[in-house]
Amino acid sequence: METGGISYVNYLWFLIFLIPLAYMNYKLRFKLNKRMILAILRMIIQLSLVGVFLQYVFRLDNNLINISYVLLMMTVASFSVMKSCSKQQLRFLPLVFLSFAVPNLIMLIFFNTYIVDLETILAARYTIPVAGMLLGNSLNSIIVAVNHFYNSVNENRREYFTSLSLSGSRIEALRPYFRQALMTTLNPTLASIETIGLVALPGMMTGQILGGALPLTAIKYQIAIMIAILVVRYFAAILTIVLTAFFSFDDYGIPLGF
Amino acid sequence: MIELKNISLTYSENTLYDNFNLKVEKGELILLSGPSGSGKSSLLRMIPGFIRPHSGEVILFGQALDKHSLKSVRQKISYISQDVDFREEIVQDLIEEIFQYKINRHISSPLPKIMQLMDEFQLSQDLIHKNIRELSGGERQRLGIIICLVLDRDIWLLDEVTSALDSELKEMVVSRIGKSGKTVLIVSHDPQWEYAITRKVSIGKRGL
Repeated sequence: METGGISYVNYLWFLIFLIPLAYMNYKLRFKLNKRMILAILRMIIQLSLVGVFLQYVFRLDNNLINISYVLLMMTVASFSVMKSCSKQQLRFLPLVFLSFAVPNLIMLIFFNTYIVDLETILAARYTIPVAGMLLGNSLNSIIVAVNHFYNSVNENRREYFTSLSLSGSRIEALRPYFRQALMTTLNPTLASIETIGLVALPGMMTGQILGGALPLTAIKYQIAIMIAILVVRYFAAILTIVLTAFFSFDDYGIPLGF
Repeated sequence: MIELKNISLTYSENTLYDNFNLKVEKGELILLSGPSGSGKSSLLRMIPGFIRPHSGEVILFGQALDKHSLKSVRQKISYISQDVDFREEIVQDLIEEIFQYKINRHISSPLPKIMQLMDEFQLSQDLIHKNIRELSGGERQRLGIIICLVLDRDIWLLDEVTSALDSELKEMVVSRIGKSGKTVLIVSHDPQWEYAITRKVSIGKRGL
């Protein structure tokens, strides 16, 4: 199967599937068409630009450019967390960035060194796509965990104070909310790991097979990436909650501004 | 043992306390009385530092309550709020968690003590397997009092902890707390407390 060049005409044919969708939206008065069309156009433009940019980055394959690109992705992801979280306090931006950087950089270096077995650890062809996958997952994990944690502390202030009044330290009183937040963010990943191969073939594996890789090779990569995703989701969420919580309560354990 | 010195507190633009003073000696059982919204519960919450006065000092065991003394002070206080706000989980898990707190770990075998007190306070032993949200107001209040008794702190701050109990149980709780020898501050509208208290402090619309 030749997958190297999908023709633009074929792409246009593929868009034909959107027509019944748009018609249904119109008939059912969903008011989604404008948003849907803009979202698709935006995706096409964004991915095309990234594609062109990555072509250059891959061709140059310069370690400094590669790591700068990964750090830029982390910065954008950190801003995205600030935008999506109830705790929109800019002072937390460096803490969120750190929560992205520490687990993801460690995992990235480990993945490239031991799984892909690269001679140049930061080779663009591997570093950028793998970083993208790990960061995308970390982003989702942090947003879910942070929102869950702070919202549940806020909604259960009285219960939190009861724990403090029964001699719990701040950490002990926050532990149940921390535990719940972590479970909420990890459950979808664990469910996806449990059913992988049976219910769904993940995107990376499908992409590799479509790109001509042998299924067994694709599976090896997929297992490694799933473990990497689980680990970064876990530590990115933990780090963000721990670091931001340190500055989110006053000396008396009273929640500050959330 | 407890001293509130020149306390001023404004809440939602209402001045609850303006230069309020109160001194509580060891072993006193004080009933705080006053109309709703006069700030009785806020006063109780001020003692462990859950609410901070805008001015004045909270002095406990001779130490002003601040970030340095907070930890040691909270270890000596049990505060049970009006609705006994326990987190919604299985009662046994909740009890185990409370007694797993570092400060409470020295209390040996709390569960048998709690079961014994549950009998005394007419609570079914099956309650231990229920979720907190399944408990009635009266059951929660009794559970709160039982945990307070087992924790055995020096100061008890009890906010309407008998409001959902029948008069027989109220008398039992009042008698048990009255004989405890602890320093107790109570907010309650139940007349049963009148016979057990050593002093009654009336709080008006703007404190004392």
